[in-house]
Amino acid sequence: MSLEIDHVTKRFGTTTALDGLAFEVARGEVFGFLGANGAGKTTTMRICLGIVRADEGEIRWDGRPTGELPRRTWGYLPEERGLYPRMAVLDQLVYYGSLYGEPPDRARREALAWLTRFRIPEYAGRRAEELSKGNQQKVQFIAAVLHGPDVLLMDEPFTGLDPVNLVLLREAFMELRDRGRTLIFSTHQMEMAEAMCESVAIIDHGRLMAGGRVRDLKRASGRRSLRLAVDGDAAPRWLAELPEVEALRTGAGGSELELVPGADPAAILAAVLSRGGSVTRFEVVEPSLEALFIEHVGRPADDEATLAPEVVSPSLQAGGVA
Amino acid sequence: MAGRDPLLPNAWIVARREYRDRVRGPLFLASTIVLMALGMLVAVAPIGIRYLDRQTVTRIAVVSDDADLAVRATAVADSLLNILPQGADPAAWEKPYRIERSGDRAGVDAALSKGDLAGVLLVQRLPSGQVDVVLRSNEGASSARAQLLGLAAFGIGVLDWSSRLPSGNAVDPFQPAAFRVEALNTATEGGRPLDAQEAASRGFLGIVFVVLLFITVVIYGMWVATGVASEKSSRVMELMISAASPRQMLTGKVVGIGAAGLSQYIVIALPTLLIIAFQDRIAQLVLGPSWSEGAPIVGLSPGLLAAYGVFFLLGFVLFALIYAAMGSFVSRPDDLQTLSLPLSLLATVGYLTAIVALGGGSGLWVTVASFLPPFSPFVMLARLMVSAIEPWQVLLSIGLLVGSIAVVAVAASRMYAAGVLLYGQRPGIRAFVAAARKA
Repeated sequence: MSLEIDHVTKRFGTTTALDGLAFEVARGEVFGFLGANGAGKTTTMRICLGIVRADEGEIRWDGRPTGELPRRTWGYLPEERGLYPRMAVLDQLVYYGSLYGEPPDRARREALAWLTRFRIPEYAGRRAEELSKGNQQKVQFIAAVLHGPDVLLMDEPFTGLDPVNLVLLREAFMELRDRGRTLIFSTHQMEMAEAMCESVAIIDHGRLMAGGRVRDLKRASGRRSLRLAVDGDAAPRWLAELPEVEALRTGAGGSELELVPGADPAAILAAVLSRGGSVTRFEVVEPSLEALFIEHVGRPADDEATLAPEVVSPSLQAGGVA
Repeated sequence: MAGRDPLLPNAWIVARREYRDRVRGPLFLASTIVLMALGMLVAVAPIGIRYLDRQTVTRIAVVSDDADLAVRATAVADSLLNILPQGADPAAWEKPYRIERSGDRAGVDAALSKGDLAGVLLVQRLPSGQVDVVLRSNEGASSARAQLLGLAAFGIGVLDWSSRLPSGNAVDPFQPAAFRVEALNTATEGGRPLDAQEAASRGFLGIVFVVLLFITVVIYGMWVATGVASEKSSRVMELMISAASPRQMLTGKVVGIGAAGLSQYIVIALPTLLIIAFQDRIAQLVLGPSWSEGAPIVGLSPGLLAAYGVFFLLGFVLFALIYAAMGSFVSRPDDLQTLSLPLSLLATVGYLTAIVALGGGSGLWVTVASFLPPFSPFVMLARLMVSAIEPWQVLLSIGLLVGSIAVVAVAASRMYAAGVLLYGQRPGIRAFVAAARKA
């Protein structure tokens, strides 16, 4: 059983939003839908929900076209955040639950359980307009999952959340996955996608650039990265001139070097040591999802290039080499 | 999509939310109270006016060089202006007009310009023997008082002529001619032609009903249009359209917002109509028994009330759907201002035609409009109030109205669905029509 995006094409006037897009998402999987702004992620989700109709191709869940499925098959967290501003949070959740066919009493119980889990039970009686953006985001997530959908489609679900709420949402994702739900989300936060997704689809201008299990994609790329920190010079620029280095991203905690295929990391270590540098971190890693994304799409997903989160092992901190 | 999305229960759930959202708002409560008070004030106003009338006696002076003419003119004017109301006690009744004879021409002119006198009747005999009567007044020639005094002038002439007949002449005593109207197309009640009071009441109620329908249609129609447009343009839409179908949402919105409007309407109209219904009793209590002139709703029958209910409801639903379609068409509530004008013109045409019908107009357009939606709720209602209408005509009008509601509902639903399909875009008319075809 899976969600099949079967060569879907969608045009808006002269603009082709989706151009024969095709990939598959297995049931019970956390799936990352990656692409630059305007790549076609939201359009794909809207076609899944029947909000927008495809010009060509079809989307099927469990072998059935999405138009034949009951609405409660889907849970949707749109990118545009929107709740009725003057309506109480709990009333709003019961309302959406009822529209999806949940009995009001059950919807109320479920809503209160989710609010408690997200540490905002005291907001049940408050108007949505009184909540912070992050808390509205959590309420909207609850509205999407309250009726227990088979497939959860989320457009940029992490935007506007602080680190604590990110963890809460991430835990909720994992729990839903363990219950057999299929979670599909789009994001620009590659580190979140890397941490949570078993599979991804990278799309650009409505076309699939790469797709499949993250592990397989990384292996198939034949690339490796090197995380390196040198005492006294966290970001030595000369590293970029080494023949083994294809790209260099520097940050306060060190540098991330993308190696050319077949490059020997030891040669880089030797080069650093030969310059008298004291290496405080040396880690050979598979290419990041961000690196894969850039490789396929050719530019950063966001306006700013971001460095992968700093991971400093105790051994490196002690001056050793991993 | 419609196959997998039955109208209920989602349309009902949406309607309930829309209804509660509106009626729970403080603005709704405040405006309802203010309008209810205003309605009651308007209903009680005739009693207040009559109360003020009771406090003042209107003075009219008669000026004539001819003493006999002056006496006759005073007597005739007095008898025509001071008619004892039906059921009033002659002993307790106070005449509303005081007709005074005066020889001071300059004095009465000054009193007239100061407002102490409502009018001056100048009566004189011309050299030809003809009696010449001039009414000097600040009112126009078409006022009811001027017309009554015009009749008085005729009476003065007749009396003057008869007083100069030779004595002993074998002429039969003067007998005023009997007069009655046989109108061929006036309303009846149980086959019986209406009396003057009932007919006047029907005319009055017809205006009240038509005005109420017009105001309700325009104001609450805009509520519906704004509700549809604002949600369409808001971010809530994105979540809603994944939970409910356009048809469910549109139906829920029209029913919910419409019901909120009707609730307000009923709360405002009910006490107002009750005051109108019991106006004679209230007048009796406040002004005494001599001031009861019959309730303004004396011409209202259960059948007429039912017809009003049917035409009101159907007219309201039709216009609510038209306004909803308009709300679907625009991408922002601000754009509604532009589109609301032609739509309110539609209602205005119906309203004005109904006013013509209430005034006795029975031309081809009045007849056609009484069957033609969206004008028929106004015009057929008006014709029913003041004309003799066959039952089949009423049924045909209702049938056409119901049919048009079905057609407009389908069109509005498609327009709304098209608006939803084009969500987030700024479509041209061509894209909108194309989307409506697919919807």
